[in-house]
Amino acid sequence: MKKLLILGMLALAGLALAQPKVFKGTEPGRAGGAYRITAISDPRTWNPFVARETSSTDIISLFLPTLTGYSPYTQAPEGNLAKSWEVRNNGLTVIFRLREGARWSDGQAIDADDVIFSATVHADQRVNSNSRSSFILDGQPIRWTKVDQFTVRADFPKPYAPALIQGWYIAPEHIFGPAYRAGVQQLQALWNLDTPPAQVVSGGPFKLDSYVKGERVVLVRNPNYWGVDDRNNPVAYLERYTVQVVPDLNAQLARFLAGEADTFAAANADQVAQVLERIRGNRLRAEIFPNADVTLGTNFIVFNWNHKDPFKESLFRQVKFRRAMAHLMDKKSMIEVALGGLGQPQWSPISIPNKAFFTDDVVKYEFSPQKAAQLLAELGFRSKNRDGWLVNAQGKVLEFNLVTNQGNNVRERIAQIFRDEARKIGVKVEYRPIDFNELVRQLTSPAADGTREFDAILIGLTGGIEPAFSRNVWELNGSLHMWNLGTGGKNPAKVEAFEVLIDTLMKRGATTLDQAQRRQIYVQFQKVVAENLPIIYTVAPAYNPARLTRLGGMFPKEQINSITGQAPYIETVFAKE
Amino acid sequence: MFAYVVRRLLQLIPTFFGATLLAFLVIQLAPGDFVTRLELDPTQDRESIANLRQQLGLDQPLPVQYAKWLSGILQGYLGLSLSYKTDVWNVIGQRILNSMVLVVLATLMIYLIAIPIGVYSAIRKYTWPDRTFTVLAFLGLAIPNFFFGLIMLFLAVWLNDLTNMRILPIGGMTTEFIHLGNLTRTAQILFPFALLGTLVFAGLFWQRSRRGQAATFGIWVGLVLFGMSALLMLWPLLQGPGLPERLPYSDSPLWARATNVLWHAFPVVIVVGTSGLAGLMRVMRGQMLDVLSQDYIRTARAKGLNERVVIYKHALRNAVIPFIAGIGGLLPGLIGGAGLVEVTMAWPGITPALLEAISAIDIYVIMGLITITTVLLMIGNVVSDLLLAWVDPRIRYS
Repeated sequence: MKKLLILGMLALAGLALAQPKVFKGTEPGRAGGAYRITAISDPRTWNPFVARETSSTDIISLFLPTLTGYSPYTQAPEGNLAKSWEVRNNGLTVIFRLREGARWSDGQAIDADDVIFSATVHADQRVNSNSRSSFILDGQPIRWTKVDQFTVRADFPKPYAPALIQGWYIAPEHIFGPAYRAGVQQLQALWNLDTPPAQVVSGGPFKLDSYVKGERVVLVRNPNYWGVDDRNNPVAYLERYTVQVVPDLNAQLARFLAGEADTFAAANADQVAQVLERIRGNRLRAEIFPNADVTLGTNFIVFNWNHKDPFKESLFRQVKFRRAMAHLMDKKSMIEVALGGLGQPQWSPISIPNKAFFTDDVVKYEFSPQKAAQLLAELGFRSKNRDGWLVNAQGKVLEFNLVTNQGNNVRERIAQIFRDEARKIGVKVEYRPIDFNELVRQLTSPAADGTREFDAILIGLTGGIEPAFSRNVWELNGSLHMWNLGTGGKNPAKVEAFEVLIDTLMKRGATTLDQAQRRQIYVQFQKVVAENLPIIYTVAPAYNPARLTRLGGMFPKEQINSITGQAPYIETVFAKE
Repeated sequence: MFAYVVRRLLQLIPTFFGATLLAFLVIQLAPGDFVTRLELDPTQDRESIANLRQQLGLDQPLPVQYAKWLSGILQGYLGLSLSYKTDVWNVIGQRILNSMVLVVLATLMIYLIAIPIGVYSAIRKYTWPDRTFTVLAFLGLAIPNFFFGLIMLFLAVWLNDLTNMRILPIGGMTTEFIHLGNLTRTAQILFPFALLGTLVFAGLFWQRSRRGQAATFGIWVGLVLFGMSALLMLWPLLQGPGLPERLPYSDSPLWARATNVLWHAFPVVIVVGTSGLAGLMRVMRGQMLDVLSQDYIRTARAKGLNERVVIYKHALRNAVIPFIAGIGGLLPGLIGGAGLVEVTMAWPGITPALLEAISAIDIYVIMGLITITTVLLMIGNVVSDLLLAWVDPRIRYS
């Protein structure tokens, strides 16, 4: 009896020691099997402090943990390495408790030292990590301190709504620490692509196994991982995770059609048709979900409010002019022609998949050349000259140049459709594709007097799930406040009332902790933008994922979304055969 | 001659500086730099963008940047890749070797096929085979390589479907796992045929040499092809049965890895080779026709020489002079990669890396590649000139 008691106590102690994260998959899975995907380019580094592009971070995220992330089911914050947290001081302090018993693949414990060290390095100006903005709030630092071996504390200079989303990578202190103390350059030289994969320590579901430049990255299951499934079996289920580098989209499709890649995201209707044809011909056991969701990326037209030509500047600042331009956007044709029938119109800044904040209840200036002509007449453009272009009483022609970046077929077609419709009612739009870098220069680098040279630009931004992270676009002094850009980090010289309102809403949204109130704020933000159109949104491309049926643990059709993808967690994906 | 070589080598120095300076300026004249694309990332602040520029030295004046790069080059250091944060040679070295596999095989294929066909077309001009070759040549020239590459991929998918076997690879240079079992069984089936072929051609060879005749081109080709295949298959025959059915690429024996790469290279080399083949075939035909109408050919025929001797000894040797002069020009081509085919067929060669570097404006990777190509081009030109003097007694440098 006594023995039993001791055994029981030991078991309890064991439970208390190991605090794994429970990954809830979509169906019970089993261990083993391989998962093969394609990537458009090689990773650049394994070093989380150097990585800047998704080709690197997509792989780093498989072997380095973060404190928290989004739940794939609810999009609410969810603990990763942090098993729980506590918000204090009206949101100014957050205490994160780490999973005790979590280990790196080399056997060392993952503890507060690793977390604090990683936070210090990410925040270091000399390192210039891509995650540095997660450690600064309006110019003031967010301070991270160690409470005990498994508790860390973050102090914010002001209440911060996304405080619970800490998605920066935690690196092993026992490897990066000595290098960091020797100097930033030593730190940046660690874990480059020539580092033997065995030396790259993992704290995530997989660890590096091999890398062949230009060909593939192979990761294998990390047996020390701190995750289990809901029946207490260790995850990840998959034994092997292979990323094949295939730099051409059509070649990626060919790999998928040959059954050599497990997932694929069709870029257009033509690719969807090819996958469907093969599935129907019984030559590929796969599923495809056309139009399952739209992607987070946006495409929009922005006019230059800091034009050196005062006529154009005052024209572009007229809300009636921008509404007229919105009325000229034939979004149906754009979806048909530019996106091959797969996509949705977009009216406001928050991406459609972002269910927590998105609202469809905004003013929509739908396609209507008559309304556009009427609005332009109200601005004084009533008659046409001999060439058929609209002119005002002074004989000034209504004309502007529209540019977009060369090589982006979707944007080029959207721009052409817009130009053709505008020209039909007499707006002289000259469209020209230009080099991407030149376009960025025109957009973001004002002359000494604060003016910029472009008229209108069609461009896109990658969207995210957290609206507060786009503050550089919407706050008055933001570096991407692209329609009306201030110089030297200051507010623009001449500001419209609605811009101030947007600025206020963004600041309030970032500092409000109550989720319902936050939604209210961002709904209002979307309405203000949709009504005043500082940025005129066009269409969002569809997300058309496909996968082989040999995969288990994937989302059913209705749960697929472009934010999480085809499966809730990679940990619970498994091979059925 | 010696003075000439020294003079040519000395001329390389100013050419090198001029070429690299020009390349550097052209890259810098293009708008934007490595950091520009980050400016459209909403999560990046002005401060971190400026920081990054400073860290990478992109805010320094152009002469300073060029001087720094040049001092590295003179010590044999190609510079630091901005995106990979490592020595440029680490980024491009392996890629260049990968490309060389394609370029060497394609060049061999081009020369081995184009010259005989060119000669044949010239001798039998305006016959049906000549016309067929002409049409094929123009087709080969007209189809862009990258497009042909895509067609090849889908052809591979179709062929694999049809046979339900993996006859052709779907792009790439190696497979993750090598099926050693399949290789061994294939070798066991094919080896007798290869051996038989070798014996037949060896017999022909022996027969002709006993009669005091030189072996024909066809006999040589057959002997080499069958002989090499038989030799290569000895490894799987001897080692194969003792190995596991399937091994990861990196753990497989050398012969299996080589076979795997050659198998992947096969469709790519065909794609790369066709356009070059088409061009060279036409040039060879033209050259040959040119030479065949010369007076000395008529004289040779008038002397009653064997037509074989006229064509191979008198005509062909003169007709190939321009090709020998062109060999030096192949040198930079070895480094330059096989072009966009590498992108469409996912061959990890230098072209995808170069395109990536250009679109990211990873300036030192681009410069490194330009430098190597420039040096090889210059050396290649010297080699060509010397070769020309060697094969053509009419040309003398003094």
